[in-house]
Amino acid sequence: MSERILGGILLFVSVIGIWLARSFEVTISYEPVGPRAFPITVLILLGISAIALMFEKKSDTVWAPPAVLLRIGALFLVVLAYAWLFDKLGFILATSLMVIPAARFFGASWRQGIVGGVGLGAGLFVLFDRLLDVALPTGLWLNSFLG
Amino acid sequence: MDSTFALLMQGFAVAGTSENLMIALVGCFLGTIVGLLPGLGPINGVAILLPIAFAMKLPPESALILLCAVYAGCEYGGRISAILINVPGDAGAVMTTMDGYPMAKKGLAGPALSISALASFCGALLATIGIVLFAPLLAEWAIAFGPAEYFVLMVLALCCLGGLVGDSLPKAAIACLVGLLLSTVGIDSNSGVYRYTFDALHLQDGIPFIVIVIGLFAVSEVMLMLQQVHAGIEPISISGRLMFNLKEFLAVKWTLLRCSLAGFFIGVLPGAGATIASAMCYASERRMAGKDSDFGKGDVRGVAAPEAANNASANGSLVPMLTLGVPGSGTTAVMMGALTLYNITPGPTLFQDQPVIVWGLIASLFIANVMLLVLNIPLIRVFVKFLSIPNWLLVPGVAAISMVGVYAVHGNTFDLVLGTVIGGIGYLLRVMNFPIAPFILGFVLGDMMEQNLRRALSISNGEVGVLFGSPIAIGLWVAAIAMLAGPRLMKMREKRAAAAFG
Repeated sequence: MSERILGGILLFVSVIGIWLARSFEVTISYEPVGPRAFPITVLILLGISAIALMFEKKSDTVWAPPAVLLRIGALFLVVLAYAWLFDKLGFILATSLMVIPAARFFGASWRQGIVGGVGLGAGLFVLFDRLLDVALPTGLWLNSFLG
Repeated sequence: MDSTFALLMQGFAVAGTSENLMIALVGCFLGTIVGLLPGLGPINGVAILLPIAFAMKLPPESALILLCAVYAGCEYGGRISAILINVPGDAGAVMTTMDGYPMAKKGLAGPALSISALASFCGALLATIGIVLFAPLLAEWAIAFGPAEYFVLMVLALCCLGGLVGDSLPKAAIACLVGLLLSTVGIDSNSGVYRYTFDALHLQDGIPFIVIVIGLFAVSEVMLMLQQVHAGIEPISISGRLMFNLKEFLAVKWTLLRCSLAGFFIGVLPGAGATIASAMCYASERRMAGKDSDFGKGDVRGVAAPEAANNASANGSLVPMLTLGVPGSGTTAVMMGALTLYNITPGPTLFQDQPVIVWGLIASLFIANVMLLVLNIPLIRVFVKFLSIPNWLLVPGVAAISMVGVYAVHGNTFDLVLGTVIGGIGYLLRVMNFPIAPFILGFVLGDMMEQNLRRALSISNGEVGVLFGSPIAIGLWVAAIAMLAGPRLMKMREKRAAAAFG
């Protein structure tokens, strides 16, 4: 079933992609093949493969049980929030806040999560920003302390 | 021949500077650790360190030395967890569990580890010599390729990888094609037309390679690790002697040689990688050993064979990337992406244009392997300690370090969010058994493929026949079709034969 749905989505993508590619036009062209040909060829092949996927008989997709899937989804949202808050909160705080729930998903206790979070946040900051010269955001609220 | 030797010496001069030696040592150490951690393999190690190397403003040759040392180190590290906890640290080490774990259970963990370190060294060394001998010849031959042949060569590389990985042809094809499609996002360099940018400023230069790589090999990996939680397995403790004895060495000497050579040639072929090489060599050694061998119950040859093949093929797979600019595996595709970050176009001319980089890299492979052998035998107990890093600390650490890399290169959170979303989609596709290597190869090769296709058709004034115009091109097309269909037809025939007998 998963394969059918994905095949349908990909077929839709390829049709939309081809439709969008119609507007890739150049007024003056110096070459016989413009910017349209390659994406359209790829999209046609993608459409054919998508149809082939929908008609494939066997499916070897095994989804994780709902409880695990829910945790994986939650982990994804935690990482997404981390990505978004990375420079707003600054590396140390954002990392600590990300590690605590992520560690909990992998079976750590609250204590381990908090110690690990603060440790990773501060430790990696010192390692990268101070020792390896890879600049990291300190976050507006910390700038006044760390300069 | 003389010139090859002179160039190699020049390479040693590059790789032998104290800074690059230090970088190689750090790479070897990190690589071994990444390799031994179950769930993380060479492609993850290279993917996570690539942006960091770039952000540290390492010169291109140093960055490549770091990545190659990590790559080589991973192949050494995978066997440690295979032998001590019966879980392969990376895909190439699957076969090492067959005899390595039984040996460790018999109290021979020390000899199993040291003989497999020697096998890894032997495979890597012979393969690196193979690179020195064959790569310049192949590069010289490939210089005659015109854009049409080059285009077909890339089609062949995609077909090889697509034909060999995974069971489902549509899935492999979709992975390749989506990779190619995403490579067209951004401003078309020939005409200035905006393609699939949806008016987003960030997408004008295309989807950054680093973002894709981190999404697929860090974010989606983290999600997969939550799905396949390994219950804390206690590693078998190393007691007794650490070193193999003379009898064990004599038992494996021909195995080492055979599997190293076979592994190298399997590695050079695009598509077939370390996993296939180690499985094939293990099977053939087992057959040659005959019925009264201890294979499967803790035979030293069963430890040496897959490790020699695994390391030889990992090094061998650098050959197509260095000589043709067409990587044959996921990991080498990521490395080639590293070259393009430095605005170095890989291809047949790389040997002439960038001798410092190419020969520095080859020399560093020699140096890295000596370091790895030295690190891996006496320091084995240190590495074993890393097996007890709990996942709750490791996984968030991986997530944080990969974000550091992306942020350091691009300096905006748009890329971090994009990478996370790509990782989420990547997770879904990986659960559905979509192969990732063809996707990353398609993304890396997409732009070069399109450029060569357009150039070929410009030369011929739009005549499509030029793609089938030369004997080389026709040969490559035939090979591409055979590689795409061949393995599956063989599998189907086997199944039918089995059904007829059953």
